[in-house]
Amino acid sequence: MAYILVADDDEDFAEATATILRDDGHEVVVELEVERALDSIQERRPDLLVLDVMFPEDASAGFDAARKIQQLGREYAQMPVLMLTAINQRFPLGFGPEEIDDDWLPVSDFMEKPVDFSILRKKVEDLLDEAESASDRESGE
Amino acid sequence: MRKNDSKPMTPRETSVYELNPAAHSGAGAPSGGGPGGLPESLLRENELWSCRFRWMVVAVMIMFGTFSFFPAIFRPLGFRTRLWWPFVVAGLATISNILFLWHAGQFNISDDGGAATVNLWSQIGIDLILLTGVVHYTGSVETYISFAYLFHVILACIFFSRRESLLVTTAAAVLYIVCVELENIGIIPLEGVYAGGHIRDAIQQQPLGVHLNVFSAVAIWFVVWYLASALSAMVRQRETELEEANTRLERAQQERTRHMLRTTHELKAPFTAIMANSQLLLEGHCGELPEETEEVVRRISDRSERLAAEIQEMLQLANLTSESSAPPKYTVLSLNKIVQGAVEKINHIAEEKNVTVEADLEPAEVAGAEEQLEMLFHNLLANAVFYSHRDGTVRVETAGDEASGATARVSDNGIGIPEEKLPSIFDEYYRTNEAVRQHKESTGLGLAIVKQVAEEHGARIRVESAPEVGTSFTVQFPPVNETSSETEEQKDGLHTGGGR
Repeated sequence: MAYILVADDDEDFAEATATILRDDGHEVVVELEVERALDSIQERRPDLLVLDVMFPEDASAGFDAARKIQQLGREYAQMPVLMLTAINQRFPLGFGPEEIDDDWLPVSDFMEKPVDFSILRKKVEDLLDEAESASDRESGE
Repeated sequence: MRKNDSKPMTPRETSVYELNPAAHSGAGAPSGGGPGGLPESLLRENELWSCRFRWMVVAVMIMFGTFSFFPAIFRPLGFRTRLWWPFVVAGLATISNILFLWHAGQFNISDDGGAATVNLWSQIGIDLILLTGVVHYTGSVETYISFAYLFHVILACIFFSRRESLLVTTAAAVLYIVCVELENIGIIPLEGVYAGGHIRDAIQQQPLGVHLNVFSAVAIWFVVWYLASALSAMVRQRETELEEANTRLERAQQERTRHMLRTTHELKAPFTAIMANSQLLLEGHCGELPEETEEVVRRISDRSERLAAEIQEMLQLANLTSESSAPPKYTVLSLNKIVQGAVEKINHIAEEKNVTVEADLEPAEVAGAEEQLEMLFHNLLANAVFYSHRDGTVRVETAGDEASGATARVSDNGIGIPEEKLPSIFDEYYRTNEAVRQHKESTGLGLAIVKQVAEEHGARIRVESAPEVGTSFTVQFPPVNETSSETEEQKDGLHTGGGR
């Protein structure tokens, strides 16, 4: 069981996502504001963050939050972030994996909305597995 | 805009916000320069240009001095020979040029703004003094050499504000008048390039003599200054206006893009939530649903998905066809990599339909906008998969040819398109009945996007189809060189880059 934080301003979507992940046995907390999500992360580091891009006050708050999290320390830089987006800052509507890098967008994976939950669940499991094996490798060293 | 509240509020509770129209008008000071003079970057270019020009003057002086050492040629023409002053002028110009170039190099990186102006003004000062020397030794009133001051007058009109160029003109006039008057009084000896007697003697015998000549020359300089500086100010004013207009357009464009992104998000968000909650119901997270209810929920989910896709395609198409949108950056791209990326993205849909995607991708290069080409091939491949029968095969090929351009072909052995319907397939929202029967979620915008992108890239599309046999779309791109010469003029320049 992992602790997952879902940060998305769309409560209907966030709660549906939380339900799906809870049914998979995870502990899920929903934050509807990006600032509260950042506070929550610092209070208790989640095993995985599901992060939306657009928030009401800032169209690219998710991008900024992902970058801020990187700077919170090594522990946070290694935290997997699954980014969800209905838009793309570039063009067209949906950025590709090639945009994910530490300079432009430091996240582990992304999904375009509307989300197919079977794919989301698969990605969540894969990211948690990857994070766990990375942490095992590190403790082994 | 003032926030009002019907209830009286204590001063501490009251928040006031006034919307200031000026802050949102988009008008702002243009960057750099302004109507007074040139921007610092241009001044820098000009100081270097002046130095290059001065090397030519040095060469001319040395040549002139050298020729005077051939009395056999020069003496019969009535010129003085064995002139030393051209070498002195060339030497001084060389020293000053080296100093100016050193100064320009020193302050090039610091970018403190004023260095270029100081450099250019010093160059003007030194040049005027050297020119006065040349004027004196060539013959200040006997020759037309004094008109060489006009070069400085006109250059000052181009480089500087009217007031500054007037200062240069006045300085030139003062130096010239002082030179001639000192010659008149006899403080400095009369010089000239003519060997026999002084033409000046003849001029000085007239009542107004030298003064009339000097006055007419200086008057002409001031007339030239007036005309050139007025013209230059007009051109500069126009440039400032254009710069402001361009800034406003760029801001409007950015605002439009932001608005489009926000609209996309706002339009898609409700469908995202509807689909997410439909999935909760369909996957049994809220308990088992009766069969009939499940069917209704599935319909809601399918229609939401279609509407979300339609909104996305409408916005993509609107953005492609918008005249005001900024032209995308064209780069040399690997077509096979772009197509490979599109194949990877479509694979999960193909797997669901048990459609095999066979790719034979030879290296090929195109000049274009990567994101648009990705859209083009995503739509062609999605169509090929959607309109294939179960267990069908979609074939994708690319081929490169430097002379005739790259080609990409997407073919399927699906439902095909009747001949009479082929001319309409690229129309917005057009869907054949056969297509609707096969894939009712289609929006009818995919091929309109394909057409728009192809037109943008100067590509030709050939469609071959036969009902129940299959369809093949061949996209023929123009050669990279051809596209690059067009795009350098029309677009934002061509840059070489990777495919993905």
